[in-house]
Order: sequence, then structure tokens, then C-alpha cells
Amino acid sequence: MKYLELALEKALSLGAEYADIRIQRTQRELIYLRNLSMKNTSMQEVYGYGIRIFKNGAWGFAHSNEFSEDSVIKTVKRAFGLAEQSGRLKHADGLKLAHERGYIDSYQTPCYIDPFSVSLSEKVELMLEINKTMLGYNEIKQAMFVLETSKNEKLFGSTLGTRLDISTVYIDPTFQATAVTAKDSQSRSFREGGVASGWEYIDNLDLEEKAEKVAEEAIMKVKADSLGSEERRTLILDPIHMSLTMHESVGHPTELDRVLGWEADFAGISFATPEKLGNYRYGSNLVNFVADNTLEGGLATAGYDDDGVPNQKWYLIKEGILQEYGTTRDTAPLIGLEMSRGCNRATHYFDFPINRIPNLYLEPGEKELSPNDLIADTEDAIYIEGQGTFSIDQHRVNFQFGGDMFWEIKNGKKIRPLKKIIYKSNNPEFWNSVDAICDERFFRTFGVTNCGKGQPGQRGIMTHGGATARFRNIRVGGSQ
Amino acid sequence: MKEEMKKTAELIQKQCQADDFTLQIYRTDDLRTRFAQNAVTQHINGANITIRLDVSFDNKTGTASTNQTDDDSLKNLVKKAENIARLNKPDPEFVPSENAHELREPINPHRATTELQVEKIVDDIVECIRNAEGRDARVSGISEKNVTKYFMQTGNGFEGYDESASFSHSMTMKKGGVETKVYRALSDYAEFSIDEMISQLNSQFDSLQEPQPGQIGRIPVILRPQAVLSWFLYLFWIFRLREADEGMTPFTDQIGKEFFGKDFSIHSTINDPKIETPVFTPDGLPTENIDWIVNGVIKKMQVDRYYARKKEIKPAMLFNMVIDGGDATEENMMKQVERGVIVNNLWYIRPVDTKSGEWTGLTRDGVLYFENGEIQHSLTNFRWNEVLHDVTKRILALGPPVQLRPEIVVPTMLIDDFNFVDVTTF
Repeated sequence: MKYLELALEKALSLGAEYADIRIQRTQRELIYLRNLSMKNTSMQEVYGYGIRIFKNGAWGFAHSNEFSEDSVIKTVKRAFGLAEQSGRLKHADGLKLAHERGYIDSYQTPCYIDPFSVSLSEKVELMLEINKTMLGYNEIKQAMFVLETSKNEKLFGSTLGTRLDISTVYIDPTFQATAVTAKDSQSRSFREGGVASGWEYIDNLDLEEKAEKVAEEAIMKVKADSLGSEERRTLILDPIHMSLTMHESVGHPTELDRVLGWEADFAGISFATPEKLGNYRYGSNLVNFVADNTLEGGLATAGYDDDGVPNQKWYLIKEGILQEYGTTRDTAPLIGLEMSRGCNRATHYFDFPINRIPNLYLEPGEKELSPNDLIADTEDAIYIEGQGTFSIDQHRVNFQFGGDMFWEIKNGKKIRPLKKIIYKSNNPEFWNSVDAICDERFFRTFGVTNCGKGQPGQRGIMTHGGATARFRNIRVGGSQ
Repeated sequence: MKEEMKKTAELIQKQCQADDFTLQIYRTDDLRTRFAQNAVTQHINGANITIRLDVSFDNKTGTASTNQTDDDSLKNLVKKAENIARLNKPDPEFVPSENAHELREPINPHRATTELQVEKIVDDIVECIRNAEGRDARVSGISEKNVTKYFMQTGNGFEGYDESASFSHSMTMKKGGVETKVYRALSDYAEFSIDEMISQLNSQFDSLQEPQPGQIGRIPVILRPQAVLSWFLYLFWIFRLREADEGMTPFTDQIGKEFFGKDFSIHSTINDPKIETPVFTPDGLPTENIDWIVNGVIKKMQVDRYYARKKEIKPAMLFNMVIDGGDATEENMMKQVERGVIVNNLWYIRPVDTKSGEWTGLTRDGVLYFENGEIQHSLTNFRWNEVLHDVTKRILALGPPVQLRPEIVVPTMLIDDFNFVDVTTF
């Protein structure tokens, strides 16, 4: 804590209008198993501090992994020098920071069994068993299991008087079976994303049963037919699949930095420009997208963001109409907002915090409806489970998605598995085509642990969710 | 720095009780200035170090890494890696660390790059913004300087040191519906000219107008070098012998066969001083010339040390990439076909189906329609779905190779019947 105070005092003495420091230790355990071979069993630790200085409406940021008074002061001076250089080319009259007050607080991911306290042997044995189960099927030629466990410990201090002690943790288990025949090769995965939880999350998953299902469906898939050329069809999408679609077509377009063009050179911009707020029909009346950084188990749930703004819950889209963005203290004032929604996050201590997608989910439908009811109510459709290929343009309008498992629905029944299915759609067609969403009993989440954004690239984390939904009149077909 | 790294290595080696180890130390010094909408948005500076230790007891392995260099942290690093290895299960595909090799001397990084200061970077950006403002446009991008030093040592006697420095500048200029980008990365900042980059940006920008809607279907395409780089680098995601042998990629049983187009050749080289070449790979193997594909025939695929040993062949890993070019100019190419599309860049490229080798993506940074040898107008962007090796069979002409990055050289390509499957609204 003494370095935190030293950095802030030094920043103020140099003339900073605002400064903050993040002292951050990130630990990541990765176990990667492929066909019973331990490809990677590692523990990575990254520890250091990043200092942001705001002066004359512009930012400077410097970081260091050396903990000494001398090093802290030098890092403050470097950040200050960079802020002065940034001031040569600032936005108009300079950036303004949204109003915020100081907080003294702490946050810890609710966690009954610290995943780092579970022995490596226990984890590896579990993974080997899952691998063996999948390899027990003749057609399965490759079985993989990746288990990532991550912990972030952060001390944050700012010249607003904020002092935060934040500790978050998540677990992300993924396994995959690949079936190979003389003509084809197809995979099926268990992949529900990361969860901000202790080891109890793993204990409550029946991974053995899931491994059998994954292997059996990979075999079904490799032997399945594809569809012919593209035609307009009904789609039913499960929550894990839809999490990726909403991430790309709703999450990124509603990041205010993209809207403002700050990512124009690489990640891209957004079609969802400010004049559309309050009037743009993004989706059908059933479509309500909630941003919720207080979501239990959510990867973006951390008490506060890296601006020192408390986590919040708000509507991005309500009854189909675009309402708000995810914002940061430096972007919010540029569209006339007084407060930030708290979406500024950095990956490591050496990363400059950037506008990130919050935890974001599609609200379940109000009427009682199960996925089975929905299928029974559908005459002709393709049902997609899990995530596959994905690609979207840099304005976040036009996209193409695949999936992990595909089923043909005829007369209210799943009649056969399919493979190599892709669909093409765009904003606002896609979310306006929603005509049914299952109810909250079927709400499931997916934690994204690899959201790439920024220059230099950073890996963001956030959670999405929803209940199985139906989309009408979408272009669906087989790949080449 | 090399001596400092060696001292760190000595301390770790003294502590290490494992049967075998591989130690890697990376140090990076970065300076990054990011700008958007004609203003600087981020300014980042700092150094970092990563010390990674892989150890093994018999065939049980463990890895730990840290960025702290004090004695206690280094002792803790060894302890962590060894604890992991002791608790781990045996790895049936374990391979001992690499032996000693005779290595080439590393090339000293260019001083113009290592000594580049933030003031000069900002001066360059001032010019970019002034240019954009003069055109009533908005420019966004990033200038980056990166200096890397790398040391590696193994329990079986390998020791290697390498260093490199690079500078890159990227910028996108936009006004209304006209949007284009230029990018260049190079080892020697002395060879960088912001005026040349601005001139290239302006030339691309001026060639574009408000785009007209494109039409889906197959049509000849001229992929400019940035577009070729963006896509063809992905080939190496799946160009691996083991996965081919296991039936998971299109390359099963294709070694030695003409699987790509006869005009398509890719190699990695250690002989061209202008192309950045590491002294050794992260596996501890000296880099050497590799022909991957020659006139469409697959000569070699990437192979890791385990699988290479099993197959009794040499391991191979991509470390730089040269796609052979030709001598066709863009004007020649436009005359070679009745009509077609010129694409500056490709974007959001992902595999659609690994077994068939099908990829998807979009165009970006400007699309032009040409007919009868002349550019007619700009087009909105397209989505494309294509099989990469099939595309190489439809190469009609190649331009001279262009070095877009220190380690990558690619030509412009004229490709017949490129499969555009959708159009965007912009």
C-alpha cells in the first residue's frame, strides 16, 4: 500500500489532474491434455503496477514490475511525460472525465473451494479420466481437455481518494472429441465458458456423463449430412451458441469507444451511433439485453472497474430499442453523459484499461416455455447447440456463424443430426427475427475468457447468457 | 543484458533438482502511441520480463513462469515448476530438452529503432493528423516500438541468445463512407518514412469514392499484399503433419504431391539479410531454410519435436514466411481479365471447416471494381467463403513480392472466380 500512496502523491506533486495506480498480480494455471499426453501443465504469475496520469485532457500510462520507491517514482514520471506528449494531440479541448467519487472498499469472488487449493493430481486425474472416456470410442482420434484457472489480485488507488482491494477468480474447463472417418473429421465440445466461482463449480458438473455425450455426438456429426445451398429457414439457438452471437453483434457494437471511433484502426467501429439511442429498433419487442456487472458468477463482476467506478446493472436494449452503451469515465462525457457505467478494464498490470463489454444477457421470456416446448411448436427449423465458426464485419452489421452441433427439426421433432451448417444475417435483421424466448428456468450463461480487443491486443473476460430462442427467416445452408 | 540473463540462469540452475530443464527468458521494452479520430488516446511505456522454466523428473513435466527477478522469486519459480512435475502424471509423449547446437551470431538490432524516442513518434503522428485534417478526414492508428531480448538454456547443454527490434505504424483514414488503411512494420526505423506512408494512404484514399453496392458471386479478384498476408498466414494454423496424418486437415497423405496451385510456393529463409530471422526456434533448434510448398507440391509441414522423433524426421516450425511472387503489375492484372475486384485487405478470417480447409472472412479498407483494364468505382465490402488450397489453383498472375513486416514477404495475387457470398451495407 505504501507504493500506492507514494505514486499518487508524486503524480499530484507533478501536476496531474487525476491519477490512479493498479498494483496487480495475475496467476494462471493451465493444464492442457491431448490424447493422454500432458502437453502443458503450468503456473504463470505476472506481477507489477500500472500508473495512469491525466493532464490537460490527455492520458499517459507507464508500468513496471520493479517494486521500490525509486522505481515507482520513475514510473510516475514516465507516465507524466507521456501525458504531456499526448497533450500535443488531444481531443479538441481535451478529454473530460465523468463525475465519480472516492470509495474505500473490497471485493472478493464468492468462492467456497479456492481452485488453487485443489491439488494438481486431483485435477489431472479428473482430466485423464475424461480423456480416456472419449478415447474409448473407436472413431474418436483426438481428445483434448484444457483447464484454465485464473486469479487476479488488485490494489487500486486514485487521486479521488478511492482505495480498493479486489480479488477475483475464475475456472474455465473445456474438452473436445474429434471423430475421424475416411472422408471427414468433425469435433464436438463441452464448452460452457469461464465461471467466477470456486472448485465447487467443477464438483457440480457431471463431466463423465458430458464426455460420453460429447464423444457420441462427435461420431454422429462426422457421419451426418449437411444441408444444400442457402435458404431462408427458422433457427433455434441454445444459450451457449447465442452467447457468442450476442457478444459479437450486440456487445461490441454497444461499446462506446467503438461508437466514437477509437478502435477504427483495428477492432473497428459501430453502426449503433448515438443518434440511434432511444429510437433504433435493434430487435423485436421480446428482445431485452441487460448489462449486469453485478451478475453472480459473471466474469466482469469485480465490485469496481479500472476507473474505480462501481459495478452496475442497466438495459442496453429494452423491448427491442437501443437504450444505452457500455461506457468509461473518458468516453461517457463525449456523448453528454455525467456518469460512467463502469466498463473500463485492463487485462494485466501493464495494460491500459479500455472500454470492455460488460456481463450481458438476453432476458428470458415472460411466458412459460421450455426448449422442448419450443421445438414442439416449430414445424421446420435448424437447432444449433454450442459455438463454431464466427466472423463479423468491422462495423458490426454483417455476420456469419456456425455452431458445435446441429439438428434438423421437422414437425416439432429433432429428426436427424447435421454438420457444416452456417447462417448469415445482419443487424438489425437478426434480433428483429426473434419470435420466442424460453423462460428463466432455462437461462444459462457462458463466460468469455478470450475476448480480443485493443492495440496492443488484450484478452478481456465477461459473461453472457440467455434462454433458448427462435429466429425466423434467416439464411441457413451447408458450407462448401 | 545477455550477461544479466545468464546470471539469472545460473541462479535457477543451482536451485534446480529436476532431471532436465528448459529455461527461457524474454525481456521486452515497448513504447506505444495510439491515436484515434485525430487525437492521441493512449500512450504506453514500460519494460517486462518473462522467465519460464520447464522441468521434468523422468517423464513427468511441470512449468512455471514469473516476471520477478529477485532471488526469492527465482527460487520460488524453481520450486513451483518442480512441485508441478512431481505431482503430475507421466507424459507418454515426453521429449528431453534440446542438446547444444552451433548457432549463428545474432544480428544487432538497428540503433535507429532501439534509440527511437517518444517525441519523434509523436512528431510523425502530428504529420498524419495534419494530413487527415487537410482532407477533412479522421485518422486512427498506432505507432509501436518493440525491443526484445531472448535467452534460452537447457539441461542438455543448449544455450542461445537472440535479440531484435521493430517499429510499426498503422493508420486508418475515414471520411463518410470512404475508409482505408496502411500498415508497415520494419526492423530499422531509419528506413521508415512517414511521408511515404502518408502518400500511400492518400493514394489509396483518393482511389476510393462512396461505395456502390457489390453483387455476390464468383469474380476475379486482385488481392493486394496486405490482403494476402492477412489470409495466407492462417494456413500455418492447420499446416501440421501430425494433424494431417490423423485425418483432421485437408493435407492427409499429400506430402510430395501437387496439392496447391503450380504457381504457389512458400518458404522460410535464413539467407536473406533483409528478412528477420531468429537464430533459433522456441524449441531450441537452429533456424534453417525450409521449403514448405514448391510449385504447388507440399514439401514439408510443421512438425513438433515429439512427432518428428516418432516419424524420424526433422522438426520444423514457421519462423518467417516468403510467398514467391512474379512480375505482373496491377495494370497487367486488370487487363488479363474482363472485369474484377481489387481488395486492399481481408478481415475477421476464421476456419469454417478444418477438414475441407474452408475459410470465411470479409473485405476491408477499400474495394474497387474494374472492367476493361480500368478502375470503375468503389464497392461495398463483401463476405467470402473459400478453400485456400483451391484458391491457389486459380492464381492467374503474381506481382513482385512486398515486405510488409520484417519477417513476411508476399506478392499481390490475381485469383480467378473468387467466391463472394454476401455483401455488407458499407
